[in-house]
Amino acid sequence: MNSNIWLITFADAISIATPLILASLGAMLTERSGVINLGVEGYLLMGAVTAFQLGMGFGNVWLSVFAPILVGVVMALVHGALVISLRANQIVSGLAMVIFGTGLSQFLGKSVEGERRPVSIEPIDFGRLSDIPFIGPVIFGHDPLTYFTWALTIVASLYLNRTRPGLVLRATGDAPATVDAQGVSVTAVRYIHTVVGGALMAFAGSWFMLARGTAWSQESTTNGIGWIALALVVFAAWRPLRAILGAVLFGFTLQVPFTLQAQQINVVAPEMVKMLPYLATLFVLVALSTPRARRLLGAPKMLGIPFVRDER
Amino acid sequence: MNASPEAVKGSHRSGGATLFALSARSVTKRFPGVLANDDVDFDLAAGEVHTLLGENGAGKSTLASVLCGLYRPDQGAVLRNGTQVRLSSPRHGLQHGIAMVHQHFRLVDRFSVAENVVLGDKRLSFFIDQDSINDRVSRIAEEFGLPIDPLAVVGELSAGQRQRVEIIKALYQGAEILLLDEPTALLAPPEVEKLFETVRTMAKAGKSVVFVSHKLGEVVDISDRITVMRDGKVTGSVGRGEADTRKLAELMVGREIDLSPRKAKAPAGGTMLKLHNVSLHRDGVAVVDNVSLEVRAGEIVGVAGVSGNGQRDLAELVAGLQSPTGGVITVDGREMNGAGTREMRANGLAYVPEDRLGTGLSPSLSIIDNMVLTRPRGLLVDRKAAGAEAERYITELEIKTPSPHTATRKLSGGNSQKVLLAREIFAQSDTTKVLVVCSPTRGLDVGAVETVHKVLDEARTKGKAVLLISEDLDEVLTLADKILVLYRGAVVHSADSNALDIEKVGLAMAGIS
Amino acid sequence: MIVGGYRIELEPRLKSPRWLVYVVPVVSLLFAFVVAGIFLLGTGHNPFTTYGKLIDKGYTSYYGITDTLGLATPLICTGLAAAFAFRMNLFNIGEEGQMYLGMIGAAWAGIVLADNLPGVAAVPVVMLSGAAFGALWVLVPAVLRARLGTSEIVSTLLLNYVALNLVNFLIFGSRTLWRDPSPFPDGQLVADSARLDRFGTTNVYPTLLIAAILAVFLWLFMRFSNYGYETSVFADSPNTARYAGMSASRLTVSVLLSSGALAGLAGSMYVVGPAGKVDPGLLQVGLGYAGIVVAALARYNFVAVILTAVLFAGLRVGGAALQISSDPVPIAIATVIQGAVLLFALGGEMFRKNRLRVRRIAGSPVRGAA
Repeated sequence: MNSNIWLITFADAISIATPLILASLGAMLTERSGVINLGVEGYLLMGAVTAFQLGMGFGNVWLSVFAPILVGVVMALVHGALVISLRANQIVSGLAMVIFGTGLSQFLGKSVEGERRPVSIEPIDFGRLSDIPFIGPVIFGHDPLTYFTWALTIVASLYLNRTRPGLVLRATGDAPATVDAQGVSVTAVRYIHTVVGGALMAFAGSWFMLARGTAWSQESTTNGIGWIALALVVFAAWRPLRAILGAVLFGFTLQVPFTLQAQQINVVAPEMVKMLPYLATLFVLVALSTPRARRLLGAPKMLGIPFVRDER
Repeated sequence: MNASPEAVKGSHRSGGATLFALSARSVTKRFPGVLANDDVDFDLAAGEVHTLLGENGAGKSTLASVLCGLYRPDQGAVLRNGTQVRLSSPRHGLQHGIAMVHQHFRLVDRFSVAENVVLGDKRLSFFIDQDSINDRVSRIAEEFGLPIDPLAVVGELSAGQRQRVEIIKALYQGAEILLLDEPTALLAPPEVEKLFETVRTMAKAGKSVVFVSHKLGEVVDISDRITVMRDGKVTGSVGRGEADTRKLAELMVGREIDLSPRKAKAPAGGTMLKLHNVSLHRDGVAVVDNVSLEVRAGEIVGVAGVSGNGQRDLAELVAGLQSPTGGVITVDGREMNGAGTREMRANGLAYVPEDRLGTGLSPSLSIIDNMVLTRPRGLLVDRKAAGAEAERYITELEIKTPSPHTATRKLSGGNSQKVLLAREIFAQSDTTKVLVVCSPTRGLDVGAVETVHKVLDEARTKGKAVLLISEDLDEVLTLADKILVLYRGAVVHSADSNALDIEKVGLAMAGIS
Repeated sequence: MIVGGYRIELEPRLKSPRWLVYVVPVVSLLFAFVVAGIFLLGTGHNPFTTYGKLIDKGYTSYYGITDTLGLATPLICTGLAAAFAFRMNLFNIGEEGQMYLGMIGAAWAGIVLADNLPGVAAVPVVMLSGAAFGALWVLVPAVLRARLGTSEIVSTLLLNYVALNLVNFLIFGSRTLWRDPSPFPDGQLVADSARLDRFGTTNVYPTLLIAAILAVFLWLFMRFSNYGYETSVFADSPNTARYAGMSASRLTVSVLLSSGALAGLAGSMYVVGPAGKVDPGLLQVGLGYAGIVVAALARYNFVAVILTAVLFAGLRVGGAALQISSDPVPIAIATVIQGAVLLFALGGEMFRKNRLRVRRIAGSPVRGAA
């Protein structure tokens, strides 16, 4: 076996970590405000199909980058209206959005199934930097969205921990009544972060079409990555920077089946290897549910609970 | 709308010359089915400590909420320095220098003291400078003699310290008027003393303090003026020196009330409940620490203590909801170690938990369904018998409900407590030998309190062994024949009610022996 | 919320009119058709003729309605599975995978056991085997939830992907007893005694009656039995259940296992009925996910699940017919409608329980949102 192959796998893992990081950042911001959005998978697919179809229609890469964000905003507004304003069950609303997004992306993508992608974002050429052993292929040679995502993660972390609105956001997930008593609108904080979160999720979806897949196929686009992103939020303990680490780990498990297939290593059937990311995610979730881990993680206390001002 | 002063009717105190810091004029506030404030007048002078005294449900918290901007009055006006203000929110109230510290603290447990204090402060820069906010918080704390570490995590502080954080927060936000809602409810007597010192310091600095309380005994010393409310109306207002406890009590309750304690009239029988060196360790901490006690038939043993000193765990151990990590629990002569709550009940124990609606009752289920909750049930639930039983107690205990099919969460606190008592005490009265009752009157109005006390007294007379665990010291003093004080899970003081030194009990509650 | 001097609030209705219970789902369905119609228009299809065809092929024509009832059969089971768990606030969203396992378990019994069983016992044994496999598939999430509080939402969902790959492995990636020995990858047929006959020339199997009876039985059982009582207490207030000495972990595990068994039953009905084998074709239909929508739209009422399952099966059958017509519309339009119905129903449900009140705010213009 070639050690170089594993290096490439690792570099690819960092690449596929990009949508995972974006999607879990989105989920994280949403959950920090106290709202659960399980719809990630639906947002990813809608983002992907929007990027692809607009690319087919207009051939403009920027349109394919930014339009999905708008789609995410609209979807998140619907979710927000249901769970923040109407106080509907957050879990069911999220699931409904998965079903809706899956169906609609399939419907809209049907006409272009199997077509080659019309626009793409190519990896940045770092020249000789890419030749540095190990560091070169792992750090350099990714697409711009990946670097943008890293920067965004740092910004999100600063926002959450060092700024005034970040302080309010953290308080909203933990003690909405306290925030309300300060004259800050819990509803507004929740809407803003749900919408920004949804935008990030759909944006993550566009990555699949612009930087990874070469052709549209709804079946093989996300494959449950949305759900893995949700588990990643827990793994990262609702802290942005830790999401990078987790995303690379999960990305690795997602990448291994491809490497084995490319290398024609058939010790284990490919169908079994494909179970790996899901089983690994499950395993991590379990490890993180021990009472000790739970205390250290510190989920937002009022996660999933609608806020109603206590006015008799 | 203009903000100019409007003609308002005169106050009962001033001839119009005095300018009050804060006043309420003819305030009326209705809630569905309740007239919480009925044409209420109230005046607060600068630098004054003014107590709003009244029973639960008298409308004093509602008035305080109107004064701080949380509620908008249906009629009437709020005046700040003689000028009418229309407060739309607590935030708006703060802009006028009015702040309220609620009974249930509004703090973020995971935040530091300083973060809690500055939360929501729009003057703060976008990027938060931790050092500068810590400094500012420390400075305020020092100025008013409220020692606290700005970096401490609020979730790890005691109730008294948290209250201090709330007060610092109000001062930080520029409060000139502080409304404290039942501020002593969660404090041990020495902590209450410290709070009073703080209140005096603030008054000296020119701040006004409104003290909302139902504890007649403790407010007389601290108050410059006491205004008494009952049934949504002001029944009287007396200045310092004019306060006479008996008269205030009458104003509060509206009739002579029997303040005399209820004690056992007959000698107690055999031991029905015995705890011998019972401990419960959780995460390496003894939450119940070597507790020994005995309750005999026909007596009430009261366990006093400040909230959070192991009362709940002690009750759950006796009720069989948790197993002790050490010691022996005996019910009616049978060792019950390791017995679950169903076995405990089968052996004649009934348990009325403190949290009525979230623990003792299933809130969305009907009264009928709640009647069978702690009964043995067959494969099918017999709702016919339960229905008949529910009907009976609705009549007997005067439970106010549209029907026995009504969900218990739609009942008032007093009525849901009656449903719970009906099930736990009345319905099984021939088989029950031991009653464990936790804070049975918390949040109830005076009428309901009387009913509950009567029920417990009757149970004693019928020969039940009653373990009364309550954070309300007055309640324990009124009912119990024997009193224990729980501090950090251990019994630190015990005395017979006829040989009681109240001072010692108070100190024991604060952990000072 | 405050808009221009008016306060808009959602407040609970003291009594919600009975008719709203029926109006909300119907209106939700209409709205969903409108939303899907917009996308149909956008992609160059006439919504009216499309819906006309969909309704004809799904509900009104003879083979349409019988195909619909046939497809509704397993869907009733996955709907019951979701309803059973969701009622107790246990969000089992792994019906899809549990159904696959039911198919695997039923096929196993049908291939290995059925020949050695007396004729009448074969079908029941095969069905129970599928139910048991479905229950086993949710065992790990159930125990984790009961012991550690691990969110069952993500764990059950992740196992769907594992189950999907497992089916692919059995049929495409290995040579197990589930696979037909021929070179073409396909499932091994179960014994004839393990299969039921269809009604006439339709695609309806006697399993439809079993599913319907099961729904009615569950409704009665959960309403009148002690088990139903305990689950309703636990769902309403876990602290109260604990206080009354009910075992939270036993209730959690038993509810999730029952839910898994019901989903597994859906898979075995597919085996004793139309498929007769482990059929990867089931992976394309999404009956497990649809079961969640069916249950939610039925407001987790077991009997209502029968109706919503038939409704959704019709969408699917009609949608399939659209795909192969002269103006082909992707079958995914059925999924779009399903998702949209659920979204509208969720919103509508809140309007049923609450009402909007718009009140003028007394006094001066208000600063800031309160």
